[in-house]
Amino acid sequence: MASLISCPHCGTRPKEEFFIRGDANPVRPAPMATDEAWNDYVHLRVNPRGRIREHWQHVAGCRRWLVVERDNFTHEVFAVTDAAKAGEGAR
Amino acid sequence: MAYDYQAVHALDGMIGAIAERRANHLSVHRTMAIAMVLAGPGQTAEAAGILVSNGEFEARFSGPGEWLVLSQVHAPETLAAELSVRLGGFAFVVDQSHGRVVLTLSGPDAARILANGIAVDLHADAFPVGRAANVLCNHLSLNLVRTGDQSFDLVVMRSFAGALVDDLKVMARSHDLSVDFATR
Amino acid sequence: MSAFRLASGGLVDRSHTLRFTFDGASLTGHAGDTLASALLANDRLLLGRSFKYHRPRGIMTAGPSEPNGLVTVGSGARRDPNTKATVAELYDGLEARSQNRWPSLAYDIGAVNNLMSRFLSAGFYYKTFMWPAAFWEKVYEPLIRRAAGLGRTDLPRDPDAYEKSWAHCDLLVVGAGPAGLAAALVAARSGLRVILAEQDFVLGGALLSETAPVGGEPPYVFARRVVEELQNSPNVTLMPRTTVFGWYDDNVFGALERVQKDVAALDAAKPVERLWRIVAKHAILATGAEERPLVFGGNDRPGIMTASAVSTYANRFGVAAGKSVAIFTNGSSGYRTAQDLAARGVEIAVLIDSRAASGDVAPDGVRLVRGGSIVDTKGRQRVRAVVADRGGFEELIGCDAVAMSGGWSPVIHLACQRGGKPVWSEALQAFMAPEAGPALVTAGAAAGHYRLSECFDDGARKASAIVEAIGRQAVGIERPVIGEETDPSFTALWHVPGAKSKAFVDFQNDVHTGDLGLAVREGFGHVEHAKRYTTGGMATDQGKLGNINAIGILAGMRGVSPAEVGTTTFRPFYTPVSFGALAGTSVDGHAMPIRRSPLHGWAARNGAVFIDAGLWYRSSWFPKAGEKTWRESVDREVRTVRENAGLCDVSTLGKIEVFGPDAAEFLSRLYCNPVLKLPVGKARYGLMLREDGMVYDDGTVSRLGEDHFFVTTTTALAGGVLSHMEFAAQVLWPDLRVRFLSVSDQWAQMSIAGPKARAILQAVVEDDISNAAFPFLAARAVRLKGNLKARLFRISFSGELAYELAVPAGYGEAVADALMRAGAPHGICAYGVETLNVLRLEKGHVTHAELDGRVTPDDAGLGRMMGTSKPDFIGKRLSARFGLTAADRAQLVGLKVLEPEKDIRAGAHLLKDGAKPSTLNDQGWVSSACFSPTLGGHIALAFLKSGRERYGEKIVVWDQLRGVETFAEVCDPVFVDRENTKLMA
Repeated sequence: MASLISCPHCGTRPKEEFFIRGDANPVRPAPMATDEAWNDYVHLRVNPRGRIREHWQHVAGCRRWLVVERDNFTHEVFAVTDAAKAGEGAR
Repeated sequence: MAYDYQAVHALDGMIGAIAERRANHLSVHRTMAIAMVLAGPGQTAEAAGILVSNGEFEARFSGPGEWLVLSQVHAPETLAAELSVRLGGFAFVVDQSHGRVVLTLSGPDAARILANGIAVDLHADAFPVGRAANVLCNHLSLNLVRTGDQSFDLVVMRSFAGALVDDLKVMARSHDLSVDFATR
Repeated sequence: MSAFRLASGGLVDRSHTLRFTFDGASLTGHAGDTLASALLANDRLLLGRSFKYHRPRGIMTAGPSEPNGLVTVGSGARRDPNTKATVAELYDGLEARSQNRWPSLAYDIGAVNNLMSRFLSAGFYYKTFMWPAAFWEKVYEPLIRRAAGLGRTDLPRDPDAYEKSWAHCDLLVVGAGPAGLAAALVAARSGLRVILAEQDFVLGGALLSETAPVGGEPPYVFARRVVEELQNSPNVTLMPRTTVFGWYDDNVFGALERVQKDVAALDAAKPVERLWRIVAKHAILATGAEERPLVFGGNDRPGIMTASAVSTYANRFGVAAGKSVAIFTNGSSGYRTAQDLAARGVEIAVLIDSRAASGDVAPDGVRLVRGGSIVDTKGRQRVRAVVADRGGFEELIGCDAVAMSGGWSPVIHLACQRGGKPVWSEALQAFMAPEAGPALVTAGAAAGHYRLSECFDDGARKASAIVEAIGRQAVGIERPVIGEETDPSFTALWHVPGAKSKAFVDFQNDVHTGDLGLAVREGFGHVEHAKRYTTGGMATDQGKLGNINAIGILAGMRGVSPAEVGTTTFRPFYTPVSFGALAGTSVDGHAMPIRRSPLHGWAARNGAVFIDAGLWYRSSWFPKAGEKTWRESVDREVRTVRENAGLCDVSTLGKIEVFGPDAAEFLSRLYCNPVLKLPVGKARYGLMLREDGMVYDDGTVSRLGEDHFFVTTTTALAGGVLSHMEFAAQVLWPDLRVRFLSVSDQWAQMSIAGPKARAILQAVVEDDISNAAFPFLAARAVRLKGNLKARLFRISFSGELAYELAVPAGYGEAVADALMRAGAPHGICAYGVETLNVLRLEKGHVTHAELDGRVTPDDAGLGRMMGTSKPDFIGKRLSARFGLTAADRAQLVGLKVLEPEKDIRAGAHLLKDGAKPSTLNDQGWVSSACFSPTLGGHIALAFLKSGRERYGEKIVVWDQLRGVETFAEVCDPVFVDRENTKLMA
């Protein structure tokens, strides 16, 4: 029926306004990184139960890519951050 | 051969004449100068400072560092150039006068009608006059701004304008609604 | 006055008579009746046949947990099966029919199932219909479908309108009984935005059927007063006839409002039902408590009801359940019903209390049997006697109705719908709502506070706490003085021992104690197993009435506490919701939005036949007078373009404007081909890969300024490519100084193709567009005659001399008209996407028919485009992996059909001559095919293993769908003008 996501730019919106890409943890390897690193990045995804980080895009709103930290079992949302900002923290 | 191009509105032929306005009214603006402003990287604050709404134009939030600017003073052909001059190197400006259609929904049931397609809380305390947001209305996205206690502007992509008007008529099924081109 | 309507009392309007029919018989009731109360008043007790045994069944409750009183309301396309008679509001002209009976309600052939019942035990589907296997589809299933099932639906489309709405509030109160009203009142007076939803058509809940005075007046009068105050509060929304059916993530509630289920003549301006999504900061569940049936032999006969239902029919509707009512109780509630009946002059045959001793006192003159039970009942279509048992001594006691009270269960469904498990309370002998966090609390009877005074206090207290949590000052209310209250205590009695006939636990699914015993014996004693094995707690009822007794019985059989047995999983929907309401307005033309091109009007004026292309309406072809088939039109359009010129609407392509000092670098990383050195004023074909090395999309890249690009995408992936670019800019490379925007809707774009294209265009364009001034792949702003700014691109998809002209969308039609006028002397025609497809196929250009996600640039013959010297671009690294460079990969080739009478179609597979069709022998597939008017035969683009080495080979095109094999010759995919002389002319 509904789930609500709080976009840091637009406020609380229903999930229908978003596109979900998937796991936000893999970081694109450097061009010359190992075959294994590239294989991991493109093909392999862990599928944990519980707290996860995902890339969501607010397509019907500000069109920003967001990192949504949520629990895929309870559906609790812990944090929603602009992906560019989330990336700064990671670097 | 004469070349005198007449502009066609996206809703020409889809909206008939009406005898009188009903309690709620959807007014379609025939021409409106519209531009999208994209702040240059790291220059959002500077661009925002220049874009403070005045009598000439109105900047509506679209996304971080992105505004939909409307003007009733400038012509569609000149708004983008005018804004480019004012914003200088702080932003990129793209003319959207033909890419978007502006509609004004007004009347005592305006917020209630919109609640049949829009999930955002439109109570005046939660969405006061002047607040703008890109929102999903049923299946399509639009820029919504509250222009008064009982009136909202909806700015939609041109190709979706017909679908939006069709949707609004259905959303207003239980509420007296008329649709017309704005006279200005 | 009808047979069972009491002379006075109740909240029905006796001056307002309503006519309705049941199974064709004309009956009357009053405004304020439910269909059930009106049927009872008319002595229509028998409402349907049971699910499995086809036993006669009547009304058992007075609310939404009703398992048996299911009827079909309306007819034809408006037929509503499984309508609960106990909820349905009576209206003038209502037509109701009984269900699950054949040929008639009174004489049902299926009742023979009752005699065959030993074959219909728990798990009978799995055991009985095993053999022979072929019988399942032909014999067993049709038989079972006819015999079982609850009501049926009709095929004509639903003519009614539905609506879906969002609502927002600080506090949602579910249930307008004493606790709900108190909570709403506190919140309303404290200034919160309140929504009060109630499934009933009158607000008041238990106050409507209570008799103890509240504040010195009848409880319903008090309720009316509170409702009036709430109604006049601008911050309160009252939602009667609205069932909150689900609790979803983030405290969003689903609710169904029955807008026009109470009228025969529908107002077309209103929906019949409205589905609400209520976003609530806080919610209070004041959903009350459900009275449990007692599980005794023959407890399903018509006339046997819960005691609270008997009281409700008497007090609220002025209807006696019978002329002589036997009461069977395990607690004080049965005594309350005795008082209610006695006060209204209804005879009480006997009051049987399963407890040997209690402080409860029966009304004067009523025969009380303590420590007794009912072990069987008599009667066919109405109970006419009970067999009472006390200490092994049986007695037949005549009656025509039985009121049973098995204790109380809080209604906690919503609180358990998000994974929380109910918690067993030993003190209350009931399952209670789990701790659900601050956003949802239960109050009143739903929280186990059964007395009226407790309900008021609890509702008010919990609302006050929420007001304060929101940060406001709570305005309290004074609890009214309440008259004598009933003690709700009882002693659990899960089933009555010594049953002389079937004792039903789940009335809707015909599950009796024996079925549960069998489930336990056969190893299906776990509560979830028992549900599936016995079907108990399934269907529309979901065990609202029976599950708690089933759990108690399973616990007894397994020798554990009900806490250990636990409950089955609670899920939405609390009560059934129609598909119409779930779809809302998203039907027909509103299921997905239609996109119209800015040239739509021009195409329509030129006679276009339109086709759905994603959300777009695109012009498919433009038939001329005398053309009978689409092929005639398309062949003519193709020839006209190749010989003269044509104009095609390409506005649907995705268009993105890219700015910034790093725009070139950004695009260089997005496209697999070089972009950095693209000169200003030039366009280039662009190919985007996915990170796995497969082609994602193609289009053009034009450089309008040093830091300003204009790129196009295919129509299909316009949205996807924009998102992909946004991901790259925001997530992968946020340091690149680049900004971009979709400008798809700003521009009307048209392709002018054919040897006469330049001459036609030059008549309209002010600037010099000669071959020298505007060569192949030129791209820049131009001015049209009449002083209109436009953009012109010399690019070609057809292989002809061609341009794409973009003008502001509103001017599109006028410019297209001008071009058609200018082109008339040159023999121009309008052409659509069918012709576009033939033209590109003849020229060997790929579309998403070829670029289907399994294709590398090299597969598509575009390997030479790859900018392998670029340090990085999306897809670069994995393009080099083993497998994507193998020599036997399927490569793009052309096919010429060798048999003139035959065509080939996309999807067909390729085989070597003489090879049998098999995965091993598969040589490739046909991606697109057409008739080529230019070549005068059928041609195709295909992917063939090592195809580029096999030009000239004769191959079999195997079309299994049509059962056709066709010989074709493998050739270069470019069928026309391989030297590009026309393109460059």
